[in-house]
Amino acid sequence: MVKFLGRRLAASAFMIAIAATIVFFSVHLLPGDPVLILLGEQGAADAEVVARLRAQLNLDAPLYQQYLDWLGGLFSGDLGKSLQTGLPVAEEVLRRIPRSLELIVAGLAFAILLGIPMGVVAARRRAAPAGLAVSAVAVAGFSAPVFVTGILLVIVFSLWLGILPSSGYVAFGADPLGHLAAGLMPALTIGINFMGVVTRMTRASLTEVLRRDFVRAARARGLSHRAAIRRHALPNALVPVVAILGVRAGNLLGGTVIIESLFDWPGLSSLLVSACFARDYPMIQGALLAIFVLFAFISLVADLIQSFIDPRMRTGR
Amino acid sequence: MRSMTAKLVRHAQGRNLALVVVSPYLALIAIMAVLPEAIAPYDPLAIDASNILAPPTSTHLLGTDEIGRDILSRIIYGARVSLGVALAAVAVACLLGVPLGVATSYLGGRLENAIMRAVDVFVSLPEIFVAIVVLAFLGGDLPTLVFTIGLLYFPQFAKVAHGMTASIRSREHVLAAVSLGAGPVWIIWREILPNMRSVIIVQASFTLSFAMLLEAGLSFLGLGVTPPQPSWGQMVGTLKDYLFTNPWPVVFPSLALFLTILAVNILGDWLQDRLNPELGG
Repeated sequence: MVKFLGRRLAASAFMIAIAATIVFFSVHLLPGDPVLILLGEQGAADAEVVARLRAQLNLDAPLYQQYLDWLGGLFSGDLGKSLQTGLPVAEEVLRRIPRSLELIVAGLAFAILLGIPMGVVAARRRAAPAGLAVSAVAVAGFSAPVFVTGILLVIVFSLWLGILPSSGYVAFGADPLGHLAAGLMPALTIGINFMGVVTRMTRASLTEVLRRDFVRAARARGLSHRAAIRRHALPNALVPVVAILGVRAGNLLGGTVIIESLFDWPGLSSLLVSACFARDYPMIQGALLAIFVLFAFISLVADLIQSFIDPRMRTGR
Repeated sequence: MRSMTAKLVRHAQGRNLALVVVSPYLALIAIMAVLPEAIAPYDPLAIDASNILAPPTSTHLLGTDEIGRDILSRIIYGARVSLGVALAAVAVACLLGVPLGVATSYLGGRLENAIMRAVDVFVSLPEIFVAIVVLAFLGGDLPTLVFTIGLLYFPQFAKVAHGMTASIRSREHVLAAVSLGAGPVWIIWREILPNMRSVIIVQASFTLSFAMLLEAGLSFLGLGVTPPQPSWGQMVGTLKDYLFTNPWPVVFPSLALFLTILAVNILGDWLQDRLNPELGG
């Protein structure tokens, strides 16, 4: 187990290193000069001012030097300062990570708690009305763009029923109930979208497992159909479901972009979007890097859970 | 007429139910994308200043937007962007990915390993973030949008093509052809590509729905096509701000997106069942 953990952590570190490199070079290769954007047309007319700011932002060094400086800063937790506010990027990024993570965890919990039972129903009654209905809900869930689901929720819960705020963020420390009320719809939106994926995977995987001999053997020993599913078929069927959840971690994170924008939730993705519009290069780099680290973290957790339920993974292939 | 109805009903009872339901809808969307002039009641840019954010009426069947443009006409014209960008992006992804996957399989050794490792990393990366950064800087004209989305999805095609090539190459009839002296080009053209066609078609249909979702999301954020050219995602993104004044206008482009992606997904499932019944549940 320790060996597996070590190997998996090394893989994550490798992925983050690649991501950091890609982030740095992609942001620097894109067109547009941050100095000229910062100064505006008037300021850019003065060559001396331009040169001074360029030196101040370390943009006059050769690209490889900037890259090494950036990597060096990474290790000491320094991601530079925002061009807009002048505040450290690392602080802002760290403040926002828990807000995005919170939505993802809550959405995922919803998706799993509802998606797995729905998948079981769909697999057991494939041709019955209940099974077909569940499958239809699942396909609808992941076919709807997240903003469509989100807007539907806003229309129902804010416009018609008037019981939930349509957007905004309230700090948990300031008002715990208000925080939950504000976060409920964004989390639900992620959850509904992902529930479809979980349901379909569970259905496909369980259908396959139910055909295997060990399930028939369990039935032959006198276990009820229900017990055979719960004790024997389902644990085996869930292994590929967890694997898919790990692979789809990217989609889960990607969904937060739209959701944070729709619900004015000040998380990582909305930081990235606003930094892009403001051409705030250090902030773009910091936010992108944090997103990739979060992504690596989610896939790592998915792999660990998978190795927990499937001992074969620990020994390696 | 009667026999045709009977035939349709018989089809509907079998496994083709999905196709019977979905294909007329997709045909309608395709007509909207190809010939919007022929069916749109108004110019999508024409402003009716006496009707701002109007609910559905007999003059504007689906209402009007925040500056008085006809929603129905904008949805009809928007089909071209929403469907067209996704289709073109899938074509780009397929034309880049399949040759790469097949060629990599013939490279062998370390290079093959390295390329496929890189492909694996790119397949799992959250593509929307990369797209946001690229489009925020390059701007959202149509070719940029198509190539950005296409480049983000080509590793998936490379992965599938690579896996299929490896498995087809080890089949006995291919080994037999090789031992009779067939070269790689002949094998790829006559054995590998025809045998992976069905898998690639299914992959393309699922990628189409992902590409539509991505385009819609980017346009929703204001990073897709430049206004005033309409796309469904962009319409939703703009009209959501007027949700509390009048929720009607935002509902229709949302519905168009949802139903179209749903239809593409159902079509994908049907193709999967039809072409590769051994894969997937």
